Amino acid sequence: MSHKRLYYQLILITVLLIALAIWQLPDFFQRNAGINLPKGVTPQFNQTLKIDKPCVDLHPEWRNAQRIDGVKMAESRLCEPDNPFDVAAFVLGMNHISMSTLMNTNIAEDALTKSDDLDGDGDPDIIRIKLEVLELNGATPDSPNVFPQYEIAPGIQPGLWAFSPKLRGMSVKNFRSQKPNAILRAPSPVIRVEKGDKVYITLENTHYFPHTIHFHGVDHAFKTSQGGDNDGVPITGEKAVMPGKTRTYELQPRHAGTMLYHCHVQTDKHLMMGLVGMFVVEENRPNNWVQTFNVGAGHVRYSSAAIKEKYDREYDLHYQSIDKNLAKTIQQSNDIREISKQMHRVYNMSESNENYFMLNGHSFPYTLRDSIIVAKQNENIKLRVANTQHSNIAVHIHGHKATITDYDGVEQNPAAQITRDVFSIAAAQRLDLKLQTTDDGLHSYGEGVWLFHDHVETAVSNDGMGPGGNIALLVYENMLTSIGLPILRKDALDDVFSNRFYAKKQVLWGKNEAGKFPPNMLHLILFGLLLGAIVGLIFFIFRGLSKAD
Amino acid sequence: MKLFTLLLVFITTPVFAGMNHGGMIMDETGMIMNHNPDVLPKDCPKISKEVDLTIRAGHKFTQGFAGKMFTYDKRDWQVPGCARVNVTFINEDEIRHQFMIHGLPGYMYPKGMFTIEIYGKGQKTASFIVPSRDYTYYIHCEVSQHTEKGMKAQLKVGEGSGDLDSILGLSAPLTPDSYPINNTSITWLSLAFSFLLGIALILFLSDLIRQKLKS
Repeated sequence: MSHKRLYYQLILITVLLIALAIWQLPDFFQRNAGINLPKGVTPQFNQTLKIDKPCVDLHPEWRNAQRIDGVKMAESRLCEPDNPFDVAAFVLGMNHISMSTLMNTNIAEDALTKSDDLDGDGDPDIIRIKLEVLELNGATPDSPNVFPQYEIAPGIQPGLWAFSPKLRGMSVKNFRSQKPNAILRAPSPVIRVEKGDKVYITLENTHYFPHTIHFHGVDHAFKTSQGGDNDGVPITGEKAVMPGKTRTYELQPRHAGTMLYHCHVQTDKHLMMGLVGMFVVEENRPNNWVQTFNVGAGHVRYSSAAIKEKYDREYDLHYQSIDKNLAKTIQQSNDIREISKQMHRVYNMSESNENYFMLNGHSFPYTLRDSIIVAKQNENIKLRVANTQHSNIAVHIHGHKATITDYDGVEQNPAAQITRDVFSIAAAQRLDLKLQTTDDGLHSYGEGVWLFHDHVETAVSNDGMGPGGNIALLVYENMLTSIGLPILRKDALDDVFSNRFYAKKQVLWGKNEAGKFPPNMLHLILFGLLLGAIVGLIFFIFRGLSKAD
Repeated sequence: MKLFTLLLVFITTPVFAGMNHGGMIMDETGMIMNHNPDVLPKDCPKISKEVDLTIRAGHKFTQGFAGKMFTYDKRDWQVPGCARVNVTFINEDEIRHQFMIHGLPGYMYPKGMFTIEIYGKGQKTASFIVPSRDYTYYIHCEVSQHTEKGMKAQLKVGEGSGDLDSILGLSAPLTPDSYPINNTSITWLSLAFSFLLGIALILFLSDLIRQKLKS
C-alpha cells in the first residue's frame, strides 16, 4: 500500500511538471520582438552569382556607317548593332552578295533571292523568302539546363519561339557554348518589302509542331495562284504545315504600311510563344532596295527610299509579353507528345498571366544593348510600333510628344493627326509615329537620356521585379558613350545587371533584410529536460503501479 | 546607284555563289565544311580502309521511336582508325538537315568539325579521314531542336570510347523524363496476393522444417 501512495504522489508531481512545461513552452517558430529586433541577414541566393557587363563590346567595327558589296548602311551606335554583313545580304538578296559577305553571316544561300525588275525602276521585284522556326530555351535530354540559352534579361530564360530567316551552319557560338549566335533571337524578324513586289514566302517547318503563316493586314489573295492556301488559317484553308514540310505563300501588296505576320495554328499559344513579327510594306520608289529582314527589330540600318525622303532615322519597336507558365511547357519534357499536351490542353490560356514584357526580344536592362533610340536635335525619327501582347500597351516617351501618322498601316489625314505623349495600342494594332526632336517645349524638351516605356505598370517589371520589362531609352548622341551606353551616374546600373536582382535576392537600398531571431537555446534545453522528466516519470509510475498489484 | 545598275545585269537569272572557300563548298542547295579526302592525320601513315556510309535524314525515320520528330536512319557506326569515311548524306525532308561531326583534330578540321548540310530534299557526298585513336565521335543536326528531338548519333573509331547519351534506340537520356505509372486495381490486387503468398510460403516452409526435425 505504502508503495502505491508514493506513486500517487509522483502523479501529482507529474501533473505539476506538465503545468510547468506548458507555462514554459518556448516560441518554436516565431516570437514577438522585445526591445531588440533581429540583427538582419543578406538574403540566401542558391544560383551562381552572375553580374553582366552592361555592354560586352564584341563587334565595335559593326557600328560604323559602312559600305558592304555596295550597300551603304547607316551608322548604328548601339552596344549590339546589327551585323552589317547580314544587313547587306538582306538588302541585296543572297544571290547578289560576295563570298566574303556570305561567310560573315549564318544565313542559308537560298534564304532570300531577289530578281526580276518587273517595273523597270532599278530594283528587283520578285522576292523569295524562306523562313524557319526557332526554339530558344527549350528542353534538352543532355542537360538539366535549357538550350540554347537566350537570356531576355539577367538570369531569365523563358521558353520562346521565333520565325527566322533560313539559317546555315552552327547555331551556337562554338561546340562548348550554350549561347546562340546573334541571329538566333526573339522577336520574329521584321520583314520589309516594296509595294507591288511579287513576294513568295516559304515556311520551312523545321519545328516539331505544325505551324502556318497568316499575313495580318498585308494585301494578299485568299488563295495562291495555284489554288493553295494563302491565308494560313487551318479552319478555312489547308491543314497546317507539318514538321519537315514546306508551304509557299504569295503576296503582291497594293498598299504600303506597318502590318504583321503570325502563326495561325493554336494561335493563342503559338502567338504568345513568339511566332509573330512585323511586316512592313514600303512605298514604291525607283532604285528602292529594301532591307528585307530586320533581325531583332530595332534600328533599321538601311531605310527605304520613301522613308529617307522624310526621316533621318527609323526604328521598329515590337512589344511582346510572355506567360511564364506557357513558356515552361517546352522546358519540362523532350517527348513532343507530352509538350503538346502540356501546352495545348493542360495550360489554360483563359487563365493566363503576363510575367515578362519585352521590347525587341529583350527586357530591361538588356534593352539598353540593342533598343536605345539614338537621336540628335532637329531630327525627324520614324517609329513603327507594334503590340503583339495580350494586354494593351500605353507607350510614353519622356520629354517628348510624338505625332501619330498611321494607324494599322493606314495614313491618318495630316490635318487630323494627333500629337500626344501616351500611345495606347491594343493587341495586334500598329502605330507609326513621327518623333520630332525640335526643342520647342512641345515636341521635345531638349537633349537628355530619356526613358521610354509602356505606362501600364505591370509591363515595367520582370515577373514583378522592377525596373525591368519593356523599359528602354531615347538618348541624344552626345550623351552616348563610344560603346553605345548612355552616360549615367556611375552606380546607376550596378544592381540590375546581376541575376540576383531579378531572382529577388538583392536588398534594395541597404545590405540586410530583417531575417530571423536565433532560437533561445537555454530555454529550449530546459524545456527538453522537463519534457524528458515527465515522460520518464510516467513510465516509472506505470511500471511501479502494475508491479504493485 | 552605279552598283545597282551593275547588279541588275545579274538580276534576270539568280546567281549563286557556288565555290570552295576556306574549307567550305557552298551553293544554294547546301554546304560541305572541311571536306578532306586526302590529308592524313599525323598519327596515320596511310589510309587503313575505305568506308562508304549512306546516311539518310528525315522525319520518317522516327517511326518506332515514340515522342521524337527527326532522326537519321541509323545512329551508330563503327570504322577502323585511319579510315577514310565517304559520307553520302541524303535529306528526305523538305527542310534543312545537317550531318555534323565534332571532336576531329583541330589542326586539320577547323573547329574540329566536318559537316554536310542540305537545305531541302537532296543529297551530297564528302569525305573525312579519322585519326587512329579509339574514340566515339558526336554527330548531330544543329537545326533548332533537332538534336533534342532525336537527331543525334555516334561514330566509333576503333573500339570507340563508350556510348554517348540520348541516342535513339541505343542509350538513355542524361536527364530523362519521368512518366506516371498506370496503376489499376489489378496492380494492387497483385501486390496483396503476393504479400499473402509470401506469408503462406513461410508458414509452409516452417511446417516442413518442423516435421523434418521431428522425424
